[in-house]
Amino acid sequence: MKGGIRKVFAYMVRYRAAGLFLFIFCLLTLVTLVNPTFLEWQNLRDIAVQAAPICIISCGLMLVLVTGEIDISVGSMMGLLAACMGAMASLSRGNWPPGVVIPLTLGIGMLLGLLNGWLVAYAGIPSIIVTLGMLTALRGVTELIMAGTWITDLPSGIRFLGTGTWLGIPVSVWTALAVFLVSLWLVHQTAIGKRIYAIGSNPHAARLAGLPIKPIKVFVFAWTGLLTGVATLVSVPQLSVVDSGIGVGLELLVITCVVVGGTAVNGGIGNLGGVLCGVVLMTMISTVLIFMKLGEDATYWSRAIQGLFILGAILADHWISNQRKT
Amino acid sequence: MERLKTNALSKSYGGTHALKDISMDIIAGEVHALCGENGAGKSTLIKILSGVERPDTGKVHWRDAPLPLGKVDAIEAHGVVAVHQEPVIFPHLNAVDNLFVGREHAMACGIWLNQASMRKQTQNILATLGEALSVTEPVGEMSLAQRQMVSMARALIHQCRILILDEPTASLSARESASLFGRINVLKEQGVGILYVSHRLEEVFKLADRVTVLRDGASVGTWAIKDLNRDTLIKHMVGREVPVAPPTSSPNVKPTKQPVIEVSALCRKGAFNDISFHIQPGEILGMSGLVGAGRSEIARALFGVDRFDSGNILYGGRTWTSLTIQDAIAHGIAMVPEDRQLQGLVLPLSVETNLLLPSLANHECFRGLDQGTMRSTAGDLVTQLGIKTESPSKPAESLSGGNQQKIVIGKWLHTHPTLLILDEPTRGVDVGAKSEVHRIIQALAAKGTAILLISSELPEILSLSDRIMVLCGGCNQGILSRQEATQEILLRRSLPTDSGRDI
Ligand SMILES: Nc1ncnc2c1ncn2[C@@H]1O[C@H](COP(=O)(O)OP(=O)(O)OP(=O)(O)O)[C@@H](O)[C@H]1O
Ligand SMILES: [Mg+2]
Repeated sequence: MKGGIRKVFAYMVRYRAAGLFLFIFCLLTLVTLVNPTFLEWQNLRDIAVQAAPICIISCGLMLVLVTGEIDISVGSMMGLLAACMGAMASLSRGNWPPGVVIPLTLGIGMLLGLLNGWLVAYAGIPSIIVTLGMLTALRGVTELIMAGTWITDLPSGIRFLGTGTWLGIPVSVWTALAVFLVSLWLVHQTAIGKRIYAIGSNPHAARLAGLPIKPIKVFVFAWTGLLTGVATLVSVPQLSVVDSGIGVGLELLVITCVVVGGTAVNGGIGNLGGVLCGVVLMTMISTVLIFMKLGEDATYWSRAIQGLFILGAILADHWISNQRKT
Repeated sequence: MERLKTNALSKSYGGTHALKDISMDIIAGEVHALCGENGAGKSTLIKILSGVERPDTGKVHWRDAPLPLGKVDAIEAHGVVAVHQEPVIFPHLNAVDNLFVGREHAMACGIWLNQASMRKQTQNILATLGEALSVTEPVGEMSLAQRQMVSMARALIHQCRILILDEPTASLSARESASLFGRINVLKEQGVGILYVSHRLEEVFKLADRVTVLRDGASVGTWAIKDLNRDTLIKHMVGREVPVAPPTSSPNVKPTKQPVIEVSALCRKGAFNDISFHIQPGEILGMSGLVGAGRSEIARALFGVDRFDSGNILYGGRTWTSLTIQDAIAHGIAMVPEDRQLQGLVLPLSVETNLLLPSLANHECFRGLDQGTMRSTAGDLVTQLGIKTESPSKPAESLSGGNQQKIVIGKWLHTHPTLLILDEPTRGVDVGAKSEVHRIIQALAAKGTAILLISSELPEILSLSDRIMVLCGGCNQGILSRQEATQEILLRRSLPTDSGRDI
């Protein structure tokens, strides 16, 4: 019996998606018992809308981690992209049509990602340094662009991306779903997906096998940049005010989700299903705390709990690698 | 004529001239051996021929047309394929992905991978190599020999015209080697040219048609195998006359003392079963068997890396029913592991640091670590073992494979272990250094260290061990004294019998 429980536990830890899924299920049951309104459509929809941009960026960031690199600049990148989008689209400033603003925002995101990737792969600077620099620099540029002002007059075309719905489901959720499916295809059905994993799994062997290591690293950073653009487009228009503080701390949340989802921080391992569960779990937590009627303390708790989760995830990874050895 | 010809290739890394002006050729249908001491430049030449590195100067011609240098995929497309010294293995991926990453089969205009066809080919190639491996399990969970096979299979899925093998038998035992030689002969009949690197000279004499010798990055010459014998070949490699005497047997009569370690009925499901033996101070117990017979697993259990399910170990006045690595080290057990890259070395750290890691405590003084004695100890080890490096402060990963192996052994010499476990200690080490390592092992035994020696090289086991234990399928097939043991007996006992013992 004890062996059986141990086995189930080992399975849950090893197949992160399954473990997290069970965890989410238990959590849902618990909260619903305390407060049945949690399962109301409106609340679930709110959680989904909150999770959508995180999920979109996580799909990219997971690939960065799988290659053995890291990107901590996505928060500032979103800040800058929000400012650019706001400046281009706002009625009182650029007043450019959405057909121009959308591709430009995505393009800038991708270019910033390309720059990250180029500095890491070709200039040979460690990714933690490059993206730490970007984290600071991009926030600075954002503040320059916004110059202490706010944007409140986004046109309805852009607003629709954030608040519109199709078949009763928000555009942002549809977008996250699409990004997730494309990522699944990328990881499982394309050559580049396989190569991303190979590079992170054994860089020495990747070199001997002649894999195009540098272009692939540039690709994962650019892809993350592009996805940050997508996330900006579907999340920022939900806000009534665009200022220079958008996306502060976002990078930590995204990294937490990806790592809790079972992605190895030193490369080679990462599973989209796990990451999706990680995103759902982490975005649920703050809502759950509110519904657990913790009142004022809820926000403080949510930070602490996020931290505990990331430690728990790393402990679990450690445990798995010990299990493999014995 | 179909041949691969190099033209004055040179390559240097920083101040090291790894290759100087190499011109040689490999003709279709021949086995061309490449010999040289550790650090002579063999692997560097192979990296250039396979496109991993670009030479500083020089050219390579294939079928009289220049080969695109520095592009692995383009060179593979010409049918020139290499199996490198360190296996090209992606531990987190399964066998199919390991074989096909970088040359994936696509369908539907490249937007969808053709998994079925890749899986089928993987199964076929593994079957022709005689390996029954799972194609879904991550390769990192397989044994070193199985990983080596996957790496070999990766090369053989190509229709190759020139096959380059860099020490392919280093982690294979007699039976796998024999099946590899069979494979090589088949390819040779089909007109494939083979460049073969090995430190095991008997293999060179068995397989090769011609031999090229490298020394210090320069080519010494190329000879037909019939014009050479073992001594002349060694002379060309080393550059001077060296009598490589077979290791002299240490005096075998040892008074029976209290054993250092007594293992009784040790079991681990799926790895080994009912293993009992003891080793006395100053005794060398050899462990022989095929790859996968459970030898490394036993070593790992004794060192506390793996758990064991039942049985116990009497060691240091205690009966252990479970053991951690910390316990093992604290009680004077040392181990040279099988896989130097993953387990034996901290690759990015310097040669010096790697050499001193286990004996750092010896260098502690009131200001911390005594840099002076550390440097001189490391320097001594480098000279004693003949480790070829530009300076002891270079990272261990910049050394040639055999020189890395010397570090893995060297680092234990200044500690004084009570029990030393050696898992393939001379893998990839050249002839000269090999006899030095043998000498060191015997010196340690003479000082009273009990030694457990695992080796797939029968001559090594036979000449060093006082007693030899043969394993097959995780079971003890009996312990022989040195007088009783011969190559034939060891081989016969290590082959599975028809009755098929299961564990
Ligand atoms: N990446 C590198 N950086 C610096 N030096 C290197 C590097 N790779 C190889 N060298 C040096 O080049 C020389 C030749 O190394 P190589 O690996 O070709 O030797 P080898 O003949 O294959 O030896 P072994 O039999 O031990 O495998 C060595 O002195 C080694 O230190
Ligand atoms: Mg080599």
